[in-house]
Amino acid sequence: MHSDDAMDQLLRDAMSAEQPQLSPAFDARVMRRVRPRRLTSFGRAVMWVYVVVTAALAAWLIHDLPITVIVAAVVVGVPLAIGVGAYGRSLVARQ
Amino acid sequence: MPPSARADSVSYAGQADEWLVERCRDGSDESAFAELVRRYRGPTFRLAVSILGQGFAADAEDVAQDVMVRVHHALGSFRGDAKFGSWIYRITFNHALNVKARVRYRAPHVSDAALAATPSADRGPHEQVEAARRQKALLECVNELPEVYQSALRLHYWMGASVGEIAVMLDSPENTVKSYLHRARRLLQAMLAERGFDAQ
Repeated sequence: MHSDDAMDQLLRDAMSAEQPQLSPAFDARVMRRVRPRRLTSFGRAVMWVYVVVTAALAAWLIHDLPITVIVAAVVVGVPLAIGVGAYGRSLVARQ
Repeated sequence: MPPSARADSVSYAGQADEWLVERCRDGSDESAFAELVRRYRGPTFRLAVSILGQGFAADAEDVAQDVMVRVHHALGSFRGDAKFGSWIYRITFNHALNVKARVRYRAPHVSDAALAATPSADRGPHEQVEAARRQKALLECVNELPEVYQSALRLHYWMGASVGEIAVMLDSPENTVKSYLHRARRLLQAMLAERGFDAQ
């Protein structure tokens, strides 16, 4: 047998395992990831109430603190909150 | 996929890729994009598997999924200079290579040895052991080839893709793919010989 033919046969034998298949939920997962996610009007109202209440509460809690502490808290807290939010969204998108 | 989207997908089945892309761009037509996913999910997955190897089928599915999402986000920048298929395969190839660099040192879920066929019953035990050793060495040698050779070999011998199909996925002329396969076989022969195995 010609050596190229022999290698051809050897490769056919060595790679004769079953082919992997995509999971049946593939399409659904992709479409969920690309579909824009919007809150319902009730969800938006809840979010606004939460933002207003927490902002007021935070302002009341920190109004006695020195300005350096407030600045430090904002510098650390804001990027942290943005990062956690982005990570959470990526986790939801992967589901 | 919801039933209405499935019905639309059926009516989109005969449309050209470029028409579907325009529909996705204009009105963010979800059914048009669903049809593109239906058309390209198999080839992108096979291409990703051919780059990552058999033990990484789950990673290849993640690659295919990421590619679809990236394509959806980038449809606005697709100018149509190249075919949509070539574009999506190029994204898949590059993304799969990046993922491979990350997962390279992780043990695969299924060893490469599992790629090999069950040894033939009409061989003696010694021959079966020898054949298994040679197949294992061969698969190790495949992993040392240039990426494009590995991909062409796995697509051809494992996935059963024709030279024409591989040419489309690798965005290369058919003669180039034939040359990849031929050169890969020659290299493997030499590598096996170095390890003391004969291809015959």
